[in-house]
Amino acid sequence: MSFWGQVREFARRDLLAERRAGEVVSIVVPFGAVALMAFPLALGIDTPVISRTGPAMFWVVTFLFTMQIALRHTASDASHHRAMLALVGIDPFARLVGRSIASTILIWLFMAVMFPVMVLFYSPALPPTWLPALLPAALAGMGLAQIGTLAAEVTTGLQARSTLAPLLVAPLAIPLLIGGSQALESLVRGSGILPWVLLVSATDLALAVTAALIAHPMEDAAL
Amino acid sequence: MRRARTLLGLAAVAALVGLYFALRAPVDAFQGEYARIMHIHVPTAWLAFLAFGVTAFGSVMWRLRRSRRWDRLAAGSAELGVLFTGLALLTGSLWGGGVWGTYWDWADARMATTAMMFFVYLGYLALRRSSPDADTAASRSSLLGIIAVIQVPLVYFSVNLFRGLHQGQSIRPDGVTMPPEMLIAMLVNLAALTVVYVALLVARMAVLAEEELVAAVEPIAGTSVVPPRFGEVGDA
Amino acid sequence: MPIARLNDLRLQLGRTPVLAGVDLSLEEGERLGVAGPNGAGKTTLLAVLATLKSPTGGAGEVLGAALGTNEVRAVRPRIGWSGHQPALYDELTIGENLRHVARLAGVGVESVAGVLEEIGLGGAMERRAAQSSNGMRRRVDLARLLLTRPQLVLLDEAQAGLDADAGIIVDEICRRAVAEGGAVVMVSHDAGLLTDRVDRVVRLVDGSLVG
Repeated sequence: MSFWGQVREFARRDLLAERRAGEVVSIVVPFGAVALMAFPLALGIDTPVISRTGPAMFWVVTFLFTMQIALRHTASDASHHRAMLALVGIDPFARLVGRSIASTILIWLFMAVMFPVMVLFYSPALPPTWLPALLPAALAGMGLAQIGTLAAEVTTGLQARSTLAPLLVAPLAIPLLIGGSQALESLVRGSGILPWVLLVSATDLALAVTAALIAHPMEDAAL
Repeated sequence: MRRARTLLGLAAVAALVGLYFALRAPVDAFQGEYARIMHIHVPTAWLAFLAFGVTAFGSVMWRLRRSRRWDRLAAGSAELGVLFTGLALLTGSLWGGGVWGTYWDWADARMATTAMMFFVYLGYLALRRSSPDADTAASRSSLLGIIAVIQVPLVYFSVNLFRGLHQGQSIRPDGVTMPPEMLIAMLVNLAALTVVYVALLVARMAVLAEEELVAAVEPIAGTSVVPPRFGEVGDA
Repeated sequence: MPIARLNDLRLQLGRTPVLAGVDLSLEEGERLGVAGPNGAGKTTLLAVLATLKSPTGGAGEVLGAALGTNEVRAVRPRIGWSGHQPALYDELTIGENLRHVARLAGVGVESVAGVLEEIGLGGAMERRAAQSSNGMRRRVDLARLLLTRPQLVLLDEAQAGLDADAGIIVDEICRRAVAEGGAVVMVSHDAGLLTDRVDRVVRLVDGSLVG
């Protein structure tokens, strides 16, 4: 099977498993909404501050909870699965790319639900033309999916995986958070978003290159 | 299922009657046409309370009797409770946006507590879905169903405890603060939506019972296994 | 050409020697049994033959590829392993699991139905793996080898916990591999389970082959 054929097959399998398990839709999404509620409740009734912090909270919640999405149990391969896949002759990089694509779709779904929830709870100032912000947001979501996939890969088989993985790769997500949130801010101020698109794109590219470089060594280490 | 279909037909008629009364009721001078949302908003909130109360009742009865019927009652009612809570939040938000210019007010304790109740019961449904079989789902969710109902009085009395955009109760032991025509429209809609709730609950319980029947007649794993037949089928 | 050849092969995990100088030759058409107590290194030996673990000393070749080098990637698709735990995805049905493997292995998915019929699970294709018994899951794992038709078949306690019918599946897998010029290595803690199914039995004790 070709590289992209394998990528499609892994993405398809992950999405099918997640559709059956329903972990993202029934657990992560509601939990993310609760998290968005928690900050204003803790802050107190300071409407201007709440309004100002809305987009930032959206990105913080997105970052934290997309780690949960990337580490969901339907996205983990136990050692016997990996042995089977290695013997079938799959390209480990194709497995990572396929998993990233599946996680990207789920993260986009999460963001699509969380953004209107944030708008409802925080009433932030939105630019009249907010559609251009979708591009850096989508790219940031893709980057977060890659980060989560890499984190899961690096911590495969470790007992503290669910807590260790986010910690290991959290710094890598900072450029994505900055790019995504500042793109919206720029539109509110009426300035361009190109620098932020470039920042997020460069981060995504760096993550993809990292995945390509570590795929085979990580596979050998996990077997 | 026949009973469920009859009730659903009745519910459709009741909903139309309620809609008629809501559209014909007088409007509040301050709220304008937005006042009509109250004829949906208040009944859906009440029905959410009722539904979660029924869930708690069903959960207690399941723990006492261990009959599947009580668990189906608890589960079906919880689903409807989440639906009605969501509708209450949506209609309340629309009302607030139209009347007060804000779709959400953090100073309003009822909004916040209702939203928390919504998420807790979403968690209840997620717990049921994640359980490997019906008895495990019943056992675990019944505990949550009994504990979570404490939120109902908390949400109801939150308007008395904390001042916010939400008005206080219009129907109180010492009298009603609503004009009679509006009260009638609201009560008609409450009755109509109660019929809708009962119809949907009966239908949902019937579906859950059917699903359990299907699962019971599905061949157990062992009967799906027959001796290997190499040579008869041919090499793969 | 030998299917596999190990010369004084050693493998250490951390500071623990697991394989302590194994000499082994596996020829085409041969069925080899490896018996030994728990902890003897049987599964690790299979992992080495599967090219999934690299030796830390000595040398070895499997299907012409030198162990511990990138050459092994090219031969892995010709190796099949069924181990303690069936490599199934719980949320997928039995049929979906096998079709997934078939697509990745470049085998026509139309073969899956026939293979499931052969192993006696034709009626279970739509059953989720998570809702299947251990015996069914093990059969499906073995069915994977019937789909991919590896040249080197590695079976780790393949018959443990399986009924007599499942033993027939194991025999058929071995028969096909041998008939097509391959080889089989079967591992068990109980030499008695191997005797009728292999050409010779070696014992692995404390990481070394005896007998």
